[in-house]
Amino acid sequence: MLEFFQQVINGLTLGSIYALIAIGYTMVYGIIGMINFAHGEIYMISAYIGLITVTALTVQFGVENVPLILLFTLAASILATSAYGWAIERIAYRPLRSSPRLIPLISAIGMSIFLQNYVQIGQGARDLSMQPLISGGWRFGSDAGFQIYLSYMQVLIAVVTVIFMTALTLFIARSRLGRACRACSQDLTMTNLLGIDTNRVISLTFVLGAALAAVAGVLISLHIGKINPFIGFDAGIKAFTAAVLGGIGSIPGAMLGGIILGLSESFASAYLRTEYKDVVAFSLLVLVLLFRPTGLLGKPEIEKV
Amino acid sequence: MNSFNRHVLSAAVSAVLLGLGGLAHAENTIKIAVAGPITGPVAQYGDMQMMGAQMAVEQLNAKGGVNGKQLEAVLMDDVCEPKQAVAVANQIVNDKIKYVVGHLCSGSTQPASKLYEDEGILMITPAATNPDITHQGYKMVFRTIGTDDQQGPTAGDYIANQIKPKNVAVIHDKQQYGQGIAEEVKKTIEAKGFKVALFEGVSKGQTDFSALCTKMKSANVDFVYYGGYHPELGLILRQCREQGFDAGFMGPEGVGNKDISAIAGPASEGLLVTLPADFSADPANASLVKAFKDKNQDPSGPFVMPAYSAVQIIVDAIKGAKTEDPVKLADYIRKHSFDTPIGKVAFKENGDLKEFQFVVFKWHADATKTPVK
Repeated sequence: MLEFFQQVINGLTLGSIYALIAIGYTMVYGIIGMINFAHGEIYMISAYIGLITVTALTVQFGVENVPLILLFTLAASILATSAYGWAIERIAYRPLRSSPRLIPLISAIGMSIFLQNYVQIGQGARDLSMQPLISGGWRFGSDAGFQIYLSYMQVLIAVVTVIFMTALTLFIARSRLGRACRACSQDLTMTNLLGIDTNRVISLTFVLGAALAAVAGVLISLHIGKINPFIGFDAGIKAFTAAVLGGIGSIPGAMLGGIILGLSESFASAYLRTEYKDVVAFSLLVLVLLFRPTGLLGKPEIEKV
Repeated sequence: MNSFNRHVLSAAVSAVLLGLGGLAHAENTIKIAVAGPITGPVAQYGDMQMMGAQMAVEQLNAKGGVNGKQLEAVLMDDVCEPKQAVAVANQIVNDKIKYVVGHLCSGSTQPASKLYEDEGILMITPAATNPDITHQGYKMVFRTIGTDDQQGPTAGDYIANQIKPKNVAVIHDKQQYGQGIAEEVKKTIEAKGFKVALFEGVSKGQTDFSALCTKMKSANVDFVYYGGYHPELGLILRQCREQGFDAGFMGPEGVGNKDISAIAGPASEGLLVTLPADFSADPANASLVKAFKDKNQDPSGPFVMPAYSAVQIIVDAIKGAKTEDPVKLADYIRKHSFDTPIGKVAFKENGDLKEFQFVVFKWHADATKTPVK
């Protein structure tokens, strides 16, 4: 029974990261109906920025205050990756806004390959690694039996994820710009006719998605401590799956999808075999899509006339 | 087409033909392709291979080369990807290079070796240890390293005789090399009456192993053998130790790299690794070791000396057989023995070394290693 709780903790940690990335996919899809395949690369870039900033702060400048390092790294990473998100939309997607759906998709795949190679040339194709910034944790249970271990890092991942998710939800639900976002997702042309600068809203969507991917990237470089230019692909596919599972276009859906995916991978490794973790995760996706083609929380698309 | 154009065209064509002819005549060098990972997650091993091969080329050239020709090492990057290895092999064929030192990973050596066999190119791998590579009935394929059916039993015997664990987990990365050696180890320890509680595969490039660690911990595993490379094992060590899973770990030469300490940090202390004997500690190699140290290179990596030896064997064979024809050289190599930094070597009919020793080392957190008795 205790192992079960440990596996829940493992799964939630993994799921939080997936959920943070999945939101970027789902927001962009919700508004302009395209899949931004370069989003995984944004996450990879932020992991690099995270690792480099932390190493620079601790080794170069000798900063020892962990919360300070964390805040500074998050801020640096969010700023830089937001700029990337904005630039990608401006360069690769906006000129193709009125072309058939397939064209921006290809452009996105091209952007993804470009960014992978760009980081590979700039930072080298080898693994970079660093030692944990935050180590230690709590142990529960008797010394003799199985002890549940909850690391500070896992708690940090959960707390940071909840904070950013809540902030995003409030922003979308309460703020003026959030209202504009919702309007755009309902009907882009109509929103434009009503005098809202939809291009600005679309840029904002990319920036918000990139900022959340930045949070995920920083958390993963702190938690796992080993990155290379190819991590964006795997994480991107998993997060995209999470977004589809939860219902692409729905923000709570992306969160739910990420958590379910993380838990299912964890349980599959634990109670079946490690080899089957992806099989189980993707079978789950197929099953959900068979019975609910719009995903768990997605709304069926209404034919617009 | 008017006559002027025709003249221009024929001039251009003959220029091209002459150009090619000129190239063919300018071959005063003997090219040896050194194929392995220059980029990618296991590029550190490629470094060892390139370093050893280049040193051999340099030193042999300083002694006047072969038959008045200079040697040239042509470095090729296969990223340890089977797909890329085939592309590299094709390029070697197209470039008419006749000798290959490589590849490094078993998974990429296997598909590439077929092309070399078909095209009559001599291949000596200094690093690929999967037994299947030399069990294909090929004539052109050799290796200057042992095989996993030697390395596996060495590891298995050590586990059974020295560690005597109650509950063993054997984990691998589902790749040709990793799974191959994991199966060898499993076979050896099961034959000695030990129970393998878990035999599972992780994915190459996987980063989260917490579920696996929890599973091993709750199954009361007290010893883990991992077949694969250091990027995954480094993370497994780090994440398992953090969960308070304190079993002993052991791995093959694919994990014995200073990067495992960079990834796992203190968790890499005490890791057991089977590696080729440390040839750089052999007094007979003292001057060679000094040559590496003078260039600020570390000769103690497991593939440095085998790569050096591979180049030397090719050159000695060219000299001894008095031919550059790779097919005749393969025949010569099979019948003769060679004095190399990895000792006096002779080959079996299938291209494996007649003798090769793997030794168990204990790895330390500062990326050094000490042999264990």
